[in-house]
Amino acid sequence: MKILVIEDQAGLRESIESYFTGDGNVCESASDYNTAIAKINLYRYDCIVLDITLPDGSGLEILKALKEGRHADGVLIISAKNSLDDRLNGLDLGADDYLTKPFHLSELKARVAAIVRRKSFDGSNSLIFNEINIDIFSKEVKINKQAIKLTRKEYDLLLYFLANKNKVVSKNAIAEHLWGDEIDIADNFDFIYSHIKNLRKKMTEAGGKDYISAAYGIGYKFIDQ
Amino acid sequence: MKLFTRYNRATTMLTIVVMLVLGVIYYYVISGILTSQVDRDLEVEEQEIFEHVKLNHELPVVYPSNHQFIYLTPVKSPVKRRFIDTQYKDPDENAMEPARGLISSVVLNSQRYQIRVVQSTVETEDLIRVIFMITAGVIIVLLVVLQVFNRMILTKLWQPFYTVLNQLKVFSPSNQTILDHATSEIDEFNDLNKAVSTMSARAVDDYIQLKTFTENAAHEMMTPVAIINSKLDSLLQTDEFTQNQSVLLKDLYDTVTRLTRLNKSMLLLTKIENRLIADEQVIDLKELIDGLLHQFDELFSGLEISVTADLTEHSIKASRFLVEVLFNNLIGNAIRHNHRKGHVHVTLTQAYASINNTGKPSALDMKLLSKRFQKSAESEGTGLGLALCKQVCENCGFKLQYDFTDEQHTFKVIF
Repeated sequence: MKILVIEDQAGLRESIESYFTGDGNVCESASDYNTAIAKINLYRYDCIVLDITLPDGSGLEILKALKEGRHADGVLIISAKNSLDDRLNGLDLGADDYLTKPFHLSELKARVAAIVRRKSFDGSNSLIFNEINIDIFSKEVKINKQAIKLTRKEYDLLLYFLANKNKVVSKNAIAEHLWGDEIDIADNFDFIYSHIKNLRKKMTEAGGKDYISAAYGIGYKFIDQ
Repeated sequence: MKLFTRYNRATTMLTIVVMLVLGVIYYYVISGILTSQVDRDLEVEEQEIFEHVKLNHELPVVYPSNHQFIYLTPVKSPVKRRFIDTQYKDPDENAMEPARGLISSVVLNSQRYQIRVVQSTVETEDLIRVIFMITAGVIIVLLVVLQVFNRMILTKLWQPFYTVLNQLKVFSPSNQTILDHATSEIDEFNDLNKAVSTMSARAVDDYIQLKTFTENAAHEMMTPVAIINSKLDSLLQTDEFTQNQSVLLKDLYDTVTRLTRLNKSMLLLTKIENRLIADEQVIDLKELIDGLLHQFDELFSGLEISVTADLTEHSIKASRFLVEVLFNNLIGNAIRHNHRKGHVHVTLTQAYASINNTGKPSALDMKLLSKRFQKSAESEGTGLGLALCKQVCENCGFKLQYDFTDEQHTFKVIF
């Protein structure tokens, strides 16, 4: 997929770029309003990661320009402004999702992947990875055409890992993804372990490969062997 | 007490006192005038006797006349001329009546006679009574008319005040509507209107500034944290780590997570304090608490804490976000400060919601707890949880109570 990151903070922009590049993805970036406008007028992207606060303009204006040009690019707003007004404004203007800073790169990637999946018009609702076949609408998971029954959290976890293939995903990021950041369970990551253990068990029992491995005690990694 | 009632009470009291005093004075003046009238009649009578004696050199023959008697009695000693209040026996009605008398004397043929002229004052008294009644009637009518008139005038006069008051009652800076000042004929109300309108403009202005500041602060602080966070995520992808490095990384992750949470809580607290969150709606509390308990499922089962809930249907009108923050924190605390195989009980009634949990065997100091950054040594929380709860309760008009009985900590939210 082709991604455009519009973000003025060099540190964050570079991190996002390097995280998204590779695995068949192309990631471009723009650091200010004018560059961004020039890019969106010239090229089309599967998803645009858009910071609202830019030094020379508002990200919302870029969003407006995009919608006025009737471009179908997916838009994910990233903003430090966790204000309801901004969120609603952004979504009203046609953004697909809204993520508040700070966020984990893995969370951003999962959200972007979800947007791209929704936007793709290849007619199939399924996400296929090797022997794993996931029907996004019915939330059915099949391994070697054999359906396995996953709980809601295990299903979310699997999608999350698939969006972050070959990346180490920290436990903190997983916890936030599964429980949201309102619920403070940072003190205890045992719950994540048990969910992952169950997911691995269900997948291997159905004849799938064991893709998930622990990484340095900090997180987990889904490796395409 | 209403202004009108107060004003009315004062004027009525004053009127009554003044009327009473005036009534007494009036009575004495009227009766004084009438008495002097009677006295003059008596003097005329006395004069007639003097003239009769002087002309005819004999005592006049006295006939009993209507309400007047003259007694002539020979006396030895000189008589002091004086007016007296006396009684008079009405021969027709055979009853004693109040009367006025004049005692004087006349000398005829070297014999001194005492003259006693007595005149009934019944008619005078009657007259006074009638005059008094009429006056009292006029006063009462006047009083009633004044009351009604005052009420009408005051209501009309204070109309601009009530208009402003009603505007103020619904005024909220978060609506960002400046009160426009209606003009009135009364200078004081015009001043009030102007002041209110200026004040509302200032409040709205302050509100906007505060909002902007809070948002900017969030942006400025969250951005570096976001960069640290993303760099950590990137670092994690680089290479193999030694045991030592991964421990360091884990600590860094946890600290950044805590920093994020702390910053978010602080901003949230400022936002709630400044009442920047205004998404009032009807919330089904039973559903909300049920959902939250479900979200905490893993935490409960992980710590082997048993949960019981006794929830009745209850809906309130408040900000959903704030109410979620409130119960999230309270339930989270009930778990965090619990021990293994402990118990949490949640009750919801029409009047209150309470969260009851086992935990440390001693009571907490509520005053200390709701202070910022107050937390137990072993707690991993931000120390802002209860401060948030308290602030949410204040904003939503709830009351937060803490109670420790039978080794059970209870936090009660009274609606």
